[in-house]
Amino acid sequence: MNTCYIPENLTEALEIRRKTHALPLAGGTDLMVQAKQGIGINPVFKSPIMIITGLDELKGIRVEDDGTLVIGALTTSAEIAADERVFYHIRTAASQMGAISLRNTATIGGNIANASPKGDLPQPLILLDATLTLASLDGEREMKVDDFITGAKKTALNDDEIIKEIRVKPVEANYLFYHKIGTRKANAISKLSLSAMANVKDGLILDFRASSGAAGDKVKRKREVEEMLIGKAVSDIPSLKDGFLTAWNGILSPHAMPTYRRESTKRMLSYFLDKISEGAELGIIS
Amino acid sequence: MAATRIDDKIRRSDALSKARGEAKYVSDLFFDGMLYAMMLRSTEARADIISITPPTLPDGYYFITADDIPPEGKNGLHMIAEDWRCFAKGDVRFVGETIGLFVGPSRAVLKSLVDNTKVEYSVKEGAYSIDDAIAIKGGPIVEGKEDDVMCQLYCEKGRDMESVFKEADEILTETFETGFQEHVHLETNGAVVMEEGENYVFYISCQCPFYVRKSVAGLLGIPVERVIVRQTTTGGAFGGKEHFPDVLAGPLLVAEHKIHKPIKLIFDREEDMEFSVKRHPSKIIYKSAIKDGKLIGTKGDIYYNCGAYLSASFVVLQRGVFHANGVYDIPNTYLTGYGMATNTFPSDAFRGFGAPQTLFAIEMHMSHIARRLGIDPADFKKSMFLKKGGETVTNGHVVEEVMLNEMFDNIAKESDYYRKSREYGYGSGRGIGVSFYNHGGAFTGNGEQAIIKAHARLRKEGERVIIEVGSTEMGQGFQTILRKIAAAVLEIPIENVDYPNPDTSCVPDSGPTAASRSTMIVGRLIERCAQEMKERWGEGDFTVEKEYEHPDGFPWDQSTFRGDAYLGYGWGAAIVELEIDRRTNEVVVKGIWSSHEIGKAIDELIVHGQINGGVIQSLGYASMEKMENRNGHFKQTSMSDYVIPTSMDFPEQYYHIQENPYEFGPFGAKGMGELVFNGADAAYVDALERAIGKEVYKIPLPPEDIEEALRNA
Amino acid sequence: MLDKKITFTLNGKKVEFIGDPLRRLIDTLREDFGLTGVKEGCGEGECGACSVIKDGKLVTSCIIPMGAVYGADIWTIEGIRDTELGSTIVEAFADGGAVQCGFCIPGMVLASYVLLKEKSDPSEEEIRQAISGNICRCTGYDLIVKSIRLADERRRGV
Repeated sequence: MNTCYIPENLTEALEIRRKTHALPLAGGTDLMVQAKQGIGINPVFKSPIMIITGLDELKGIRVEDDGTLVIGALTTSAEIAADERVFYHIRTAASQMGAISLRNTATIGGNIANASPKGDLPQPLILLDATLTLASLDGEREMKVDDFITGAKKTALNDDEIIKEIRVKPVEANYLFYHKIGTRKANAISKLSLSAMANVKDGLILDFRASSGAAGDKVKRKREVEEMLIGKAVSDIPSLKDGFLTAWNGILSPHAMPTYRRESTKRMLSYFLDKISEGAELGIIS
Repeated sequence: MAATRIDDKIRRSDALSKARGEAKYVSDLFFDGMLYAMMLRSTEARADIISITPPTLPDGYYFITADDIPPEGKNGLHMIAEDWRCFAKGDVRFVGETIGLFVGPSRAVLKSLVDNTKVEYSVKEGAYSIDDAIAIKGGPIVEGKEDDVMCQLYCEKGRDMESVFKEADEILTETFETGFQEHVHLETNGAVVMEEGENYVFYISCQCPFYVRKSVAGLLGIPVERVIVRQTTTGGAFGGKEHFPDVLAGPLLVAEHKIHKPIKLIFDREEDMEFSVKRHPSKIIYKSAIKDGKLIGTKGDIYYNCGAYLSASFVVLQRGVFHANGVYDIPNTYLTGYGMATNTFPSDAFRGFGAPQTLFAIEMHMSHIARRLGIDPADFKKSMFLKKGGETVTNGHVVEEVMLNEMFDNIAKESDYYRKSREYGYGSGRGIGVSFYNHGGAFTGNGEQAIIKAHARLRKEGERVIIEVGSTEMGQGFQTILRKIAAAVLEIPIENVDYPNPDTSCVPDSGPTAASRSTMIVGRLIERCAQEMKERWGEGDFTVEKEYEHPDGFPWDQSTFRGDAYLGYGWGAAIVELEIDRRTNEVVVKGIWSSHEIGKAIDELIVHGQINGGVIQSLGYASMEKMENRNGHFKQTSMSDYVIPTSMDFPEQYYHIQENPYEFGPFGAKGMGELVFNGADAAYVDALERAIGKEVYKIPLPPEDIEEALRNA
Repeated sequence: MLDKKITFTLNGKKVEFIGDPLRRLIDTLREDFGLTGVKEGCGEGECGACSVIKDGKLVTSCIIPMGAVYGADIWTIEGIRDTELGSTIVEAFADGGAVQCGFCIPGMVLASYVLLKEKSDPSEEEIRQAISGNICRCTGYDLIVKSIRLADERRRGV
């Protein structure tokens, strides 16, 4: 039988979490499916549950004075997709997550905590070096999303903590790329996703980043590989490209459809680099 | 109210109650004292059962197995053969085979009883694919057989194939494969059983109430009349509720015999995906002789994966063989069909009933021959169309005028086919593809006369007319079609005609709602009933019942499969245009055009909806609907793993309906429900081949399989 | 297990649920309140047959626990079908050939309702987007899209 708590505010939630280690249920779009038993049967959870869907303190999006974007953990994908202040990659990923009804229910905190390799939001968040604020009765700590997700379905969340908010510092970029290959054109689970961005000024690549979703046990990104391009001239892209693509391929570890995932990632990255190299108009590369 | 004419635009009779959420599907029915049921199923594909140990049953709970079948009953579901056991006993032959049924008041308790039952197996090697079955892996599955060929047939047209191949300029041999397809009717399977006096009553989501009755009565050794089947509003079927409801009804009947309370069994989606029938996977090998730019002969070896029990597989295989020449007059053919037994869930009826597999293969094969001859596939195919009076592969003849040229002209013009076919280079990333197809209406050969002998009845009650038939509405619009036919003949408003869901104790057996036969056969019966009723209209209240009459001049020999396999075909042509993203292999369909000749559309809006739905189902089959079986277990078990098209996957369709009134159908109508599934897949793959510049030989083709095709080619 | 009392608004009326807060909303609606217009198609939020409107937004009731319904405003097909916009949609679906087997249709009507509440004269793309979480196996969607447009035209009086 399930033990379930419904706290009325964050403090109460943290107290319950400390005392019982009850698992927070945010939107429920993952947990309710994992616990389902069939028609007319209440879902069965292996641990106590704490339904935090109603905690208004964890909802909403704001921008701090230094430009840092702060997204409450219980903000839904639909709300993120609709907010122009949210960075392109995150907003686009949120807008392509599942179906409308799912986006109305699923939360960013839940999507991160679920740590599915196919999850839509961790990939762009890791691209942008987003951090999490984790709250417990002892206070708060901050952690990179990339460090928080330690593997497939594994996180560094302590059993007395709750994800409070997601913080993204401004990142300068003038070439942007996001593509999700879904199981179909809408209402789809990710087969593969790729975010990439570059900041190009006066013929120089000042920053370059890429992140691959559903290409291994967790989101794949590696600064050392990105650095192969950073500080280099745009005109050097043709000579650097193959080496970069090979190195990027080396960080992917897809289990299923390995050839397809590796090759389409390579082709998408290659395309993005070609566009920069060709001096394509700044902005979103589609 | 004005009298309804056949061409009037009318509103479907079931639309409003469904849209308002008032229509009651079987899961919406709750009865006093009702218990629930849950199945205990095999988790092994091929094994002897050593022991079955259920947990201690709480009060009010029951565990029903083969041992509960009374001595006068027999543990078999009487579909076409009686091989499919109601409950596995001694051994299991596929994953998901019913072993027992738990019954009781709480579904949560039932679930835990199922989860905590220990079944000990002695596992044996199984055969799962057609190739496994050809190799007789694990030994013959069917008792008394020396191999895994469960059923087999051949048919021969023209000369001896050896001589045909000898004179060929070129011989092309190709192997095509198609996968499982899951019906995904939005309403899962479900049934409620209860006692009414000495009778057993089923409320059940099904296509064929009389099939259910016939299939299960033998379990208790009772006359079929003591089983009353009431069809509930059925939320889609597509063949998945033709025989499969018997698999629910059988165990429920045995349980009811013991328990005497209403019992409800509803599958959740996972059960309905993992443990239900599928479309037969196929492997089709064509060897064709080409001479002077013409196809002069084709030898076909057609293998269907039937699963562990026969169900309707032999009939499905026959239809596959009879459609293996597509719409083409190939002068010499020798076609052999093999139904292979494997340890997978039995394959069964699915819209198209065996025809889509061979039609896909022959269409691709024809396109490939055209490419070798340097002719546009459309032109090559057109040069070989069957014509009225032309000989079929079963040595019968084509009954109607074949209008494929006119139909193609219409959609070629609308789609600008020839310009695009010329301009889009092979491998350019863009492609336009074409396919032609047909579907033989109703049961094969003289089956309507020899096996079914359908009846239909009209009853007049004052100003109202009631249709009494065993045919079912499952979404295809038949309740509206029949009412319209009756009203139009009687020259009364359609609102004055009723057609309740059938109850086998009140209506005559009109045969199954399958095989695209309902409008053509039952519709014609109702037309005849209405014609007589109209003449006698002044007589007060009375009923008119008619029996099927076979037209003269259509010989058929079911033992040799020679003669007129069908009394008429529906015909189709489709064009699909698409673009492929060369980076990701994602396909964007840019246009879909189709033309269908169905005799006459009784209701254009309903026909329009059928075309749209059938075409999209076929495009799903070709592109995204991938169902894999690993060692007897289906890998895709949910609607997120096994994806079917959404509103965003394909664009709005152009459709054209070709009139060609059919002599033996009501108002000239023929069947159409399956036809519209039979060809868009091949048009899609033709277009895809042109876009990627490689030939492909199997469906489905999600992006990762396109990658593989590009690499292997 | 601790039963919880959860009050919420259902089709405009205040109601109360007492039970396991992890019970699925769909089971409560169908079996406790008898609202069987809410259909179960997949049980995992994929098909949209169980769609309801929660606080003005379309959600799938098969993956929402009762504990997340505290104080919420829930509307099902039973509450929508006789509203002005709801009945316009239902009638347009019937006239436009949108309904075949009907199992997805109540959810489809709700998705259309939310769309047309928010938007006048939606484009084909917007309509297809709005119903993309509602799976239909029968119609191929064209006539549903046309019927939604018909409903929009009728309520705008064009």
